[in-house]
Amino acid sequence: MRRYWFGDIDGSECTPAQGDEDRILERCDTIREKVDATFVPLSVDEACTCGFFADREEYLARLRSVTIRDARKKILEAFSEGDAELIQMVRMLDEMDEVVNLLTEKAGEWYLVKNPGFSRKYKSMSAKRMVGVMKKERGPLGKICAEIDGLSNHRAALMRDISKRTDAVMPNCSALVGGLVAARLMERAGGLSNLAGLPASTIQVLGAEGALFTHLRAGSPPPKHGIIFQHRRVHNAPRNVRGKVSRAVAGKLAIAAKIDYYRGELDPEFIERAQARIDVVGEKE
Amino acid sequence: MKVIRGTIVSEGEGGVYGERMLNGCRVWDPHRSKLPAAVLNGAPLDLAADMRVLYMGAANGTTVSHVADYVETVYAIEFAPRPMQDLIEVARRRPNIVPIMADVNRPEVYGCFVEAVDMIYQDVAQPNQADILRKNLPFLKDGGTAVLMLKARSVDVRKPTEEIAEETCAALREMGLTIVWTGTLNPYHRDHMAIICTK
Repeated sequence: MRRYWFGDIDGSECTPAQGDEDRILERCDTIREKVDATFVPLSVDEACTCGFFADREEYLARLRSVTIRDARKKILEAFSEGDAELIQMVRMLDEMDEVVNLLTEKAGEWYLVKNPGFSRKYKSMSAKRMVGVMKKERGPLGKICAEIDGLSNHRAALMRDISKRTDAVMPNCSALVGGLVAARLMERAGGLSNLAGLPASTIQVLGAEGALFTHLRAGSPPPKHGIIFQHRRVHNAPRNVRGKVSRAVAGKLAIAAKIDYYRGELDPEFIERAQARIDVVGEKE
Repeated sequence: MKVIRGTIVSEGEGGVYGERMLNGCRVWDPHRSKLPAAVLNGAPLDLAADMRVLYMGAANGTTVSHVADYVETVYAIEFAPRPMQDLIEVARRRPNIVPIMADVNRPEVYGCFVEAVDMIYQDVAQPNQADILRKNLPFLKDGGTAVLMLKARSVDVRKPTEEIAEETCAALREMGLTIVWTGTLNPYHRDHMAIICTK
């Protein structure tokens, strides 16, 4: 018997699939005919002769309606996991960083021209404070700086949102390396399911692709860390053990991502053990 | 394929992705799409009006929309949700596109939707491209054409493109296919090879 989306064909006997499109799709999910040398692809003519459809046009219209419905359902499923929006939030955050820095720099140059007596030297003035000062300028510069200030406030709020959401979407990774780093790793992997499928060695160098490929191509030293470097225990570690710490963190992260994806809840015991292990590695000479 | 003053075009409703129009036809940019790039480089490819095509790696439906202008039916397979949104939109306006959201590594999942086809077009940027084609070969009619757009950098970053193409060709011959044409997609797409074979 050959099973297709519209029904079964057994020799000269044809049995149509019953029910509405959702029922048809449910049935399709049970069809897993091996596609090998003995596989017979469906024939639209056969489907029409069997009386399932009047002609090819009607056949295609029905098929398209079914597959589009199926695709829509799958898209919805993929986006409802919570990690899809988190990815977009992380990308927006990184972009905002870039934009705020660029705008601040340009505004600073402008301000210097308008105030020839001013210099930032010996003033230890942060970019944020600089914007605060420039905001008081009259005219367009002041207005633009007010916007920059607003943008960086939005950025701060977005960062808090990301941390909060990461705690919910990937609690174990978040507990291990903090919300922002966990979210960035997930973004780079392309989703929580992808991150859960990655080996620790890949997680270790996620975000250092440039260095990794130069290493593979030209034999330069391999990167010790990618995004993971942003985690304090990696960048605070003494140089000689930084690679080790990074490897340990990546190893525990790989496990944490799997717990997050397949179990979805915080495992305090695991976190405790993982933290202890990472700390031990960091202390070693 | 239809060519106006050296530019490959297709006849159909325009405005899919902001493509330019030429004498009422949609310009098919070789820089955006690999198929016209291969044709301009001399690939013996023709899309006939009675063809049925299995298109793997349909992405946003840009190339798919052009292919659909030429042939009878396109089964467009795409796995990622974001491009699938666009593909559905393209398919809604072109009744000869059947969009299917599935993994090309698992033909048993979409085998119940796809009929026997005259051409398999594969553009998937995966490391196991020959293997993917082998899995989907039962859909191809005897004498049908398989077009492989090989992105060398997705297979191995270290090896030169030609070497990867040679390896892939060997794998294709092993599964009983006859290689008709191979060529690069320079200058339109770097590190890409097109392989055309028949069953």
